[in-house]
Amino acid sequence: MADPKLGVYICSDCGIGEALDTEKLENIAKNQYRIEVVKTVPFLCSQEGAQVIRDDINNEGVNKIVIAACSPRVNSDTFDFDPAQYITERVNVREHIVWSQLPAAVEEEPAQEAGTEAPAEASGDEAAAAAPAEAAPETAEEPAEAAKPAVNENTQEMAEDHLRMGIVRAQKSEPPEPVIEAVERTVLVIGGGAAGLTSALESAKAGYKAILAEKEAVLGGWAGKMYKILPDKPPFEDVKTPDIDEKIAAVQSHENITVLMEAHIDSIAGTPGQYDATISHNGSTETHRVGSVVMAIGWKPYDAGKLEHLGYGKFKNVVTNVEVEEMAAANNGTISKPSDGQQAKRVAFLQCAGQRDPEHLPYCSSVCCMTSLKQALYVTESDPDASAFIVYKDMRTPGLYENFYKAAQNNPGVMLTKGEIVSITEDATGNIILEIDNTILGEKVRIEADMLVLATGMVTNMLPEGAEKVTDLTPEYVGQWKETETQDGIIKEVIADPVVLNLAYRQGPELPYLKYGFPDSHFVCFPYETRRTGIYAAGAVRAPMTAMQSANDGVGAALKAIQCVELTSRGQSVHPRSGDESFPEINFTNCTQCRRCTVECPFGVLDEDEKGTPKTNTSRCRRCGTCMGACPQRIISFKNYSVDMIASQMKAIKVPEEDSKPRIVALICENDAYPALDIAGLNKIQTNPFYRFITMRCLGGTNLVWIADALSAGIEGFLLIGCRYDDDYQCHFVKGSKAASERLGKVQETLSRLMLEAERVTQVQLAMNEWDQLPKIMNDFAEQLKGFGPNPFKGF
Amino acid sequence: MADETVDKTEETAGAEEETAAEAIAEETAVTAAEAPAEGAGTEVPVVAETAFEGEEPAISEAAVAAPAKEVVAITPDVSFVRDIIKGGGVDLKKCYQCATCSVVCNVTPNESPFPRKEMMWAQWGLKDKLVGDPDVWLCHQCSDCVAQCPRGAKPGRVMQTIAKMSIPSLSKPGFLAKGIGNPSSLILMVAIPVLILLAVIARFGHLTNPERGEVVNGVPVHPGEIVYGSFLGHWPIVIVFSTFFVLSIIIFALGVRNYWGMMKKHVQEEGNDVSGSGMSQVGPVIGEIASHKKFGKCDETKDRKISHLFIFYAFGLLFAATIISTILTDFPLLWGGEGSLSPYPTISLVKLFGYTGAIAGAVGIGLIIINRIKHQEKIGIGSYFDWLLISVVLVIMITGIGSVAFRKFDVGVVAYPIYFVHLSSVLFLFIFAPFSKMSHMVYRATAMVFAKTVGRDTPM
Amino acid sequence: MADKVLIVGGGISGITAAVEAAEAGLEAVIIEKNTYLGGRVAQLHKYFPKLCPPYCGLEINFKRIKQNPKISFHTLSEVKSISGSEGNYQVTVQVNPGYVNEKCTCCNDCVAECPGERANDFNYGMDTTAAIYLPHEMSFPMRYVLDKNACGSGCTKCVDACKYGAIDLDMQARTVEFNVSSVVFATGWNPYDASKIDNLGFGVAKNVITNVMMERLAAPNGPTRGKIVRPSDGKEVKNIAFAQCAGSRDENNLDYCSSVCCMASLKQATYLRDCYPEDSKATIFYIDLRAAGKYEDFLMLVKADENVTMTKGKVAKIEEDPATGDVTVTVEDILGGGKVEATFDMVVLAAGMESAAKGANLPADLVYEANGFMDSKQKVAGLHACGVARWPDDVATSVQDGTGAALKSIQSNGGIPKTADAVEMSGGN
Repeated sequence: MADPKLGVYICSDCGIGEALDTEKLENIAKNQYRIEVVKTVPFLCSQEGAQVIRDDINNEGVNKIVIAACSPRVNSDTFDFDPAQYITERVNVREHIVWSQLPAAVEEEPAQEAGTEAPAEASGDEAAAAAPAEAAPETAEEPAEAAKPAVNENTQEMAEDHLRMGIVRAQKSEPPEPVIEAVERTVLVIGGGAAGLTSALESAKAGYKAILAEKEAVLGGWAGKMYKILPDKPPFEDVKTPDIDEKIAAVQSHENITVLMEAHIDSIAGTPGQYDATISHNGSTETHRVGSVVMAIGWKPYDAGKLEHLGYGKFKNVVTNVEVEEMAAANNGTISKPSDGQQAKRVAFLQCAGQRDPEHLPYCSSVCCMTSLKQALYVTESDPDASAFIVYKDMRTPGLYENFYKAAQNNPGVMLTKGEIVSITEDATGNIILEIDNTILGEKVRIEADMLVLATGMVTNMLPEGAEKVTDLTPEYVGQWKETETQDGIIKEVIADPVVLNLAYRQGPELPYLKYGFPDSHFVCFPYETRRTGIYAAGAVRAPMTAMQSANDGVGAALKAIQCVELTSRGQSVHPRSGDESFPEINFTNCTQCRRCTVECPFGVLDEDEKGTPKTNTSRCRRCGTCMGACPQRIISFKNYSVDMIASQMKAIKVPEEDSKPRIVALICENDAYPALDIAGLNKIQTNPFYRFITMRCLGGTNLVWIADALSAGIEGFLLIGCRYDDDYQCHFVKGSKAASERLGKVQETLSRLMLEAERVTQVQLAMNEWDQLPKIMNDFAEQLKGFGPNPFKGF
Repeated sequence: MADETVDKTEETAGAEEETAAEAIAEETAVTAAEAPAEGAGTEVPVVAETAFEGEEPAISEAAVAAPAKEVVAITPDVSFVRDIIKGGGVDLKKCYQCATCSVVCNVTPNESPFPRKEMMWAQWGLKDKLVGDPDVWLCHQCSDCVAQCPRGAKPGRVMQTIAKMSIPSLSKPGFLAKGIGNPSSLILMVAIPVLILLAVIARFGHLTNPERGEVVNGVPVHPGEIVYGSFLGHWPIVIVFSTFFVLSIIIFALGVRNYWGMMKKHVQEEGNDVSGSGMSQVGPVIGEIASHKKFGKCDETKDRKISHLFIFYAFGLLFAATIISTILTDFPLLWGGEGSLSPYPTISLVKLFGYTGAIAGAVGIGLIIINRIKHQEKIGIGSYFDWLLISVVLVIMITGIGSVAFRKFDVGVVAYPIYFVHLSSVLFLFIFAPFSKMSHMVYRATAMVFAKTVGRDTPM
Repeated sequence: MADKVLIVGGGISGITAAVEAAEAGLEAVIIEKNTYLGGRVAQLHKYFPKLCPPYCGLEINFKRIKQNPKISFHTLSEVKSISGSEGNYQVTVQVNPGYVNEKCTCCNDCVAECPGERANDFNYGMDTTAAIYLPHEMSFPMRYVLDKNACGSGCTKCVDACKYGAIDLDMQARTVEFNVSSVVFATGWNPYDASKIDNLGFGVAKNVITNVMMERLAAPNGPTRGKIVRPSDGKEVKNIAFAQCAGSRDENNLDYCSSVCCMASLKQATYLRDCYPEDSKATIFYIDLRAAGKYEDFLMLVKADENVTMTKGKVAKIEEDPATGDVTVTVEDILGGGKVEATFDMVVLAAGMESAAKGANLPADLVYEANGFMDSKQKVAGLHACGVARWPDDVATSVQDGTGAALKSIQSNGGIPKTADAVEMSGGN
């Protein structure tokens, strides 16, 4: 960009003018930073106000705009200066400072009472608004000047420091230049079942090309193997004959879909928009250039061999729901006893067989209740006097599937009870005797059946046949543990076995899975989020679901696959920083091949050569900056986000001599902590005035060098406020806040080298709706620091 | 006691040649004679007691044989499920066991309440469990469950159907119960009393020209007037009606004995013991029935209490009328004395009771019909089984009043046919009392006594 | 092609459809009848099973909307007419006045002066706001709204109080025309009116509330600032009952399962336990506990808490003790427990979800199933349904469905509009 020229604009409205001495603020910009264009504008967010800035852009050539006013979360449409040309830095003096500070506070003790009481008082905005007003007189620490209402020294200093940090941040930022690369508008769909067929077809309908790779010799998956399928149209009452053939025909006849049967994925290399998928099928091996991947490889039945306690394998007439389905499909609906081939007149169904069971599948497979109702109808269909009795824990037919429950149950031969199996035995004639307790018949009952059907569950095909129990899988990938010696000790990691994708990724050949082997999204709000940009899971591979649900899932996955390619074609990031055109740049000359970036990247973006030199794959990147934080050499940075930038922001903080004015740096996550502080301000909840907030894309970007620097510069302590990690993580970058917490472990040694308490650096996990807890969190930490006494480095 | 009842009937019948007013009083009264089954439940304890003593040892054995809460083998029976559906429990299968019915039912005991468990048993076709189930008859058909059921399974209807289906195994011969429960055989069933009466009239009465007057003790009575007595004489009626009345009583007696035994067995299978004869509970039950306390607990159909009370006391009054006429007419006749004071003066107890009873009955039956229409949207208009009884009683009331009217206006052409219909419908009621819905007055009363005996009573 | 999709409904699935379509390259405009985007989820305290705040997801989605020029939206708006056909629909939208313009800075000075008062619908009427108010902390757009029905006649206090000239009492409804290639209906749901359930005492017993109200009671910006107390007397709720299928799976009310109520009640049980960890008890009365798929883990988690009891049996009678305000429920403990009465401080009705499109007379030839949910396959090309408008389901599934709707709208547009900066790949193999 042209020579940088800063303009600083301070808004004097929304109470800012009353609470702060804007003249002093202006002077800091003018004198300390030698900035010519510095203006205090009332009602800056008005058209007139914004016009002032636009004029300076046009007339003065201002291209880095520092706005000290409200939160960037509001008025973004007013201050929407083209990010490709201008840097806009919003210094949040309103919500984070003026609205959350008393007009005048006693220096000695931080506004604890106010802080903690506020939320209680602040019921309704009126109360909140009133609170500071009352508080003002008795807490006024200096006699108010006649001219201006008392400006609180701490609040003023807080604003000044934040202005300094904002200016520095703007100075250190450059508009990003997106990497525009050619993309292939083709989606590779792996798996030709309900989900896969739909994904391919819908992608093609949207104008994309699709390659459908199916490992078997026929398309259709389970949906093609069934005698009848569950209702998939209103009124969702009656079973229907499989109609998957229509979809198969549509796929096969579509000009933009290439179907590869009996296909095996040898490898997928490259990045979104430019994947090279090497696929071998009927003898030949070809490499196809594809833009993105939908993985719809479906499910396999749980190994009933492990269910001997339920009689499977022990008694001839105990079979699984899958076996019954095959039987029905083969014999036009007739269910006969394996023992003698006679038609079964009394068929018992045992729900949750090896499911909802910590010993087997702890989860529920969602579909089995409906499957058993369906199969119960087979039993009565072929013989009206035959009866099917279903023993369930809970009948789970959610939503409009309830209609199917009602319809099926209405058949006189279909009988249901809740119950727990006490014993399953076989009599001389091969009949199965079930003893059931806790039934809704109000007693322990014994039922005799010709045949018992076990409603076994679904296991994701991410797990190879005979994989270990879903309850103790190796983390993220199927594989073996391996310990590797590195320069910072032994790293224990899983060497993963390829299952489907054979990704040429440093971190592993597959989508990392979560609990029970499902490569599902962990996000309620973002069900298609996987940790491999451009690769999306759809259907029963990611969670147990019906064929109808799988098909729906396939549509969404196709959209994400297409969207990823489109964003890539514009050099933009996908969710959560959708549209971000910045990307990490590595200064290789100083790279020590320590591999930390390649190991810590939550999205497996960075590959490495045999020496360990990282290779950036921009279009895989989510721009969280975890690599930046991981790098001990500080050689990874974005145009508008870098180690140096934040280090400089900290240096910009003025650390006073007096111990009564501690300075505490809070690194706050832009996703949850930042808005939480905004909402606290909106509610006029009082927070501690000695904090200096630095916004992070994710705490994962926290680089330890800052801590060393800042502490030696007299900062009393560091509070990292970020998202929850571990099992129920809310970190938008999956492992960012976790990575930060692990790094903090390492900082101990740094601190002890400086003869400082390790607790001076603390990370807290804050959910966005916990804004009311901020004052306590901040005050407690401040108190703790006070206990340690002043930072010995202060004033060096 | 049984004899006494028999006497009554004979004598009631004896009052036959009296004016239609009495006639009505009488015949309906005869029916009313059974009202005690519900009202006083006179014969219930007797039978119960004998049944009880008779089975004392057997029971204690059973009690030993059936220790509490062992594993119960159950045999699902689709055909029985289908029977219940055909029999009127059409929505049985819709039940998904949420137990709303048991909760909204104000008549059920709290421990293993009905009708939820009956719905379950019925859905599985567990006949044995349902047969001896006291709750099937304890249900007062409030229909609160029908109105509240989230699935529209109409538990009340199912309970009624099960009750209906249990009658053949209680009142013998069972085919009569099956017949009366089945619309297609209605004609056949109606034919029975009609043919009997025709036969009797053909043999003892005058189908043609009844006006010639009847001769009682050699004295011609009111020649030229309409005299039903001359249509069919006094004694034939006495014989016919009392015979079938006594038969009914015996069938009921055996039925109650049966039922009591079954209920015992059932309760023991459920793991509870039965002690006490039940005698002690008769009093309280009579009280409950007289006050219709349980009906009062219904929410949806509160108004039913009134209408049922009307019918109930109508029978009572007509019964009373019969007693009086018995004392005034039949006794003297029997002893060869002057059987008379008849026709009674318009202001006489007999007529007073007779008329008010008839009117009360008409009002009650009217109310019942109105209520059913009023509630049909929410809980249905009712089953064939209900309507058969309602219609019969209605016919009896109308033809009864009709007979009086047309005699007074002296329109023989109409009067005699109506009187004939009247007689046949009353006989119909007699014959089928143990098999039709009429039997509820006995079996429900029995179930109530049993429930109290085993401490399975509704919290009041 | 119009290169634009119009989305009716700014709830989570509508927002998702818009954002996903726009990020793929298709312009999207959201029409929301409420004063803010976010719909029902904005009123939820936490999501199951992660117990994370919906505000978090909304924050990201709003950020995506703010930074994406391809997305526009209108609140306080309703679709008046739709004409044309796939690829070229004309849609007329009426934008109703909120009487506050874009000049609003949320300084709150107006509220201090406002004499009016209105029931706070955001908190389901459990508290009040001034006539001029900020709907909630995450309101998007972040702008106050004036409820004129709550204004005194001729009162101009707020206007005088606003130094920014943001309040315009004469603001009129206006109509906006859109030319779009398809319309997505993400009209979402309304909580079922529990007063229609005649045996569960809602509206009669003061301490019988619905599950949506419970969300507000637990929320830090709810009527009680997150403290779970009873409506009648503000007493701390230590013993709570959840009545499942309140209206759902019930021919007399909602003849289907609302899918989410079981999980919602399990979640809300944790609200109470977190609020009073020492001495609070929760009892859940259910017909079937429907924690499908991996949600089972959450069921197990809550079950592990010995202060949470689960009893099979539908609550079918609820009575209030007028003296104490306590609530007595009657239920049959189906697993042999007989008919029991139990008394609680408060009862939460797990009321179901009703399609908001039902009886809304949307100006389009749409196909509905018997309960008012839209068929996924609409007979008119270019009209799509997603989210709870289509099927009563949880947030994750509604979002998934909204994503699918985005693709459908791209198909209706004959593909993604070609953009200049997108580089085509030469051939590829």
